[in-house]
Amino acid sequence: MRLYDIVALVTPDLTDEDAQKVAAEYRKILSDGGAEIVRDETWGRRRLAFPIQRKREAYYHYFQVSAEPAVVAETQRRMKLSDQVIRHLAVRSDLELKRAAKSAARQREKAAKRPPRPPAPMPPASAPLEAPPIMEKGEPS
Amino acid sequence: MSPAPRGGTRSATASREGKAGGRKKFFVRRRKVCKFCAEKLEYVDWKDVKLLQSFIPERGKILPRRISGTCALHQRMLQTAIKRARSIALIPYATD
Repeated sequence: MRLYDIVALVTPDLTDEDAQKVAAEYRKILSDGGAEIVRDETWGRRRLAFPIQRKREAYYHYFQVSAEPAVVAETQRRMKLSDQVIRHLAVRSDLELKRAAKSAARQREKAAKRPPRPPAPMPPASAPLEAPPIMEKGEPS
Repeated sequence: MSPAPRGGTRSATASREGKAGGRKKFFVRRRKVCKFCAEKLEYVDWKDVKLLQSFIPERGKILPRRISGTCALHQRMLQTAIKRARSIALIPYATD
């Protein structure tokens, strides 16, 4: 099982409810394939950054699922064929999240290992006194 | 070159002196810090439009590292995040 982020953009020609129905369709495909839906969010009707199929808006729906690759591939195939879904994106996110968690843990470990540093504000007190003497400029020798 | 008119020589020395006293020496560049490192973000989320938008100037291009100060690792993550967001029209490819 792998974690995926899936976003579908549904045509703005549909009503809010119909867009929900389209999302439900894909929810069914996913869960029938044995996917576990982790997050299921409707982002609602949003303005597109650029027109897609002459449309300037779309309903966004977001799923985060833990699924086998084949299930996601099938969902993507259906989305591609569908006229209602004008654009979709499915990316695997477990690798990135895992790496992020790992490096976060490493940093925490590092921070724990490093002793607290009380002798930090010592040096600046004496340093500015020994400023280099000001030289006269523009003196051709 | 050698038999240069007097006027020319004089003006040349004058300009050189002017440069020596210039204030270029005192220009202090602010040190740029990677935003993601500073906030301890390990992962750049492509769904976070507001965050990505701050790395996209007027024209819609990705803000270069030399300007934003982002570190190599985070710039790479930012790059893929922006490209993903673009593909689903959260962010423009180009604006004019």
